[in-house]
Amino acid sequence: MLEVKNVSRLYGTGEARVAALDGVSFNLEDGAFLAVMGPSGSGKSTLLNIIGGLDQLTSGEVLLNGIAVNNLTENQLVKVRRGSISYVFQQYHLLPSLTALENVMLPLAFSGRADRSRAEALLKRVGLEKRSGHKPSQLSGGEQQRVAIARALIGDPELILADEPTGNMDQNTGAGILKLFGEINAEGKSIIMVTHAPETAAHAGDVLFLRDGQVVEFRKNIKTEALK
Amino acid sequence: MNIYKLVLKDILRRKKRVFYAGLGVIVGTMTVVSILTVAAAGQARILSQLEKYGPNLTIVPAVSNVNMTLGDISLGAISIGDNYIDESRLPDIRRITDNNIRQALKLDDPGDIATIAPKLYVNSKVNGTNLLVVGIIPETEFLLRTWWMVQSGDYISGPQDMVAGSVAAELLGIKPGDSITVGSSLFKVTGVLQSTGAEDDYQLFTTLALLQQATGNEDRVSSIDVRALCNSCPVDTIADAINSSLPGMRAMAVRQVAETEMGMLERINRLMFALAGITLVIGAFGVMNTMMTSVHERLRDIGIMRAVGSSQRQILAMFLEEAVIVGLVGGIFGYVAGSLLAYGIGPLILDGAAVSWMLVYFPVSLAVAVVVAVLATAYPAYRATRIRVADSFRSL
Repeated sequence: MLEVKNVSRLYGTGEARVAALDGVSFNLEDGAFLAVMGPSGSGKSTLLNIIGGLDQLTSGEVLLNGIAVNNLTENQLVKVRRGSISYVFQQYHLLPSLTALENVMLPLAFSGRADRSRAEALLKRVGLEKRSGHKPSQLSGGEQQRVAIARALIGDPELILADEPTGNMDQNTGAGILKLFGEINAEGKSIIMVTHAPETAAHAGDVLFLRDGQVVEFRKNIKTEALK
Repeated sequence: MNIYKLVLKDILRRKKRVFYAGLGVIVGTMTVVSILTVAAAGQARILSQLEKYGPNLTIVPAVSNVNMTLGDISLGAISIGDNYIDESRLPDIRRITDNNIRQALKLDDPGDIATIAPKLYVNSKVNGTNLLVVGIIPETEFLLRTWWMVQSGDYISGPQDMVAGSVAAELLGIKPGDSITVGSSLFKVTGVLQSTGAEDDYQLFTTLALLQQATGNEDRVSSIDVRALCNSCPVDTIADAINSSLPGMRAMAVRQVAETEMGMLERINRLMFALAGITLVIGAFGVMNTMMTSVHERLRDIGIMRAVGSSQRQILAMFLEEAVIVGLVGGIFGYVAGSLLAYGIGPLILDGAAVSWMLVYFPVSLAVAVVVAVLATAYPAYRATRIRVADSFRSL
């Protein structure tokens, strides 16, 4: 489903040039749950942004179902974001003026659909049916992230890109979110999740280790115990 | 939920910011509306003056001075022609005037149209002072000289009644109730006119018929003032028609003071509109500045919307919609504020201008405000569409 081929991302020019990614390659099958691990500054988030078309690569290629994401125009990327890929962020990134339900429905406002019952069902799916009328400021971090996950699901994407989704949470809340990701993955969605915590990565099926913008290790089908 | 509701919700959340953006629009629209309103009041005042002072015709006897010479020796000048117009010519004058007006305005009304005021000037010694006594048709003259106001006493009602111009009354030391002899008749002063600053102040006015009789000027009038019905009446054509078909008299279209004043007002208006334009531009920069800040403040929101699938066009549309709302709200407030301002400054700029609530400027102010807001938002909105999602999150 996803092929990342020799992707590099350079920032700055000349002497000050820094490689955030330096020849990263790997493949992912349908229904995978990949954890991208590595220390701060290893290029994890950059990789995620490039896969999702939020950032541009300097060289290499990212193929999503055979289509080069890095060559798409802005408008083609909009289509990808409405259909194939969605995001979950560490900071949740909900719109403060909207209620939980409205935040879940936000992508539909742009794609021109309005499926309130589906949004309600998704809120129920993440366990927040009773909080649908609340604004983000009235929700806890875990609840906000659940709203963000419901929002990520409303367009029925193939691939969910999650950037440190539990980074702002205590362990219990984070565990709940990770369990939710596990369930979503079990329902057939592919997930790529950036994290620096091994116990978070343990929920994933595959783990990609990055250091200084390069792949250190790519472990497939790991067992939970193996990491601990 | 759709994009428009999204914008409304966002505006409601950021009321203050939106208000600041609107402030520039309000100030600009306020200036334009107040200037338009004051200008309209000025125009109305001058039009009413035009109405008062008429486009007028004055018809006087055709007297020509002929220089008498014998060889190279000048023998002085003599006047040829009568010093009076015969009253029997009045129907002809009315016929020519009314027909011309009917033609110009496409009227069928067979009745009298123009106001025709014959008068007789008699130079007379009253209480030892030489002055002009004017015989008039009281009602007609009062219609014509709309600026006349009786300062004390009453206006002419009986044939022997007389009113005095303010200076004449002072010079002669007369007041209502006094009697004055002119020619063979005794006249009763019934009132004194308010000062007009014109030659009226130095004259005495009484009824035409009795003055003609008393001074032996039966059937004679010295001049005839004709006030046409309307501002667009063809006074020049009427004057030409009278001059060519009625010998012995000369009709002149009176050039109006009000026209000069209109030109002056035009110049003042142009200056004020230039000021309004500058205010609008400054207001637009204010809006632009606030909108730029607004784009910056909402970097994250824009990034979120882009990340969940909004197109660049949708981001642009959202900002422009916000601009339209800011424009509409600013236009409403600007209209109200501008009208109130006009009430305040109108009388300061134009003496005696009656400023009135100009509802026609409401759509104008809305349009101006929306156009200014949208133009001022165009660049910030364009910048908003160029935001890269990854950057918008990184900058936080």
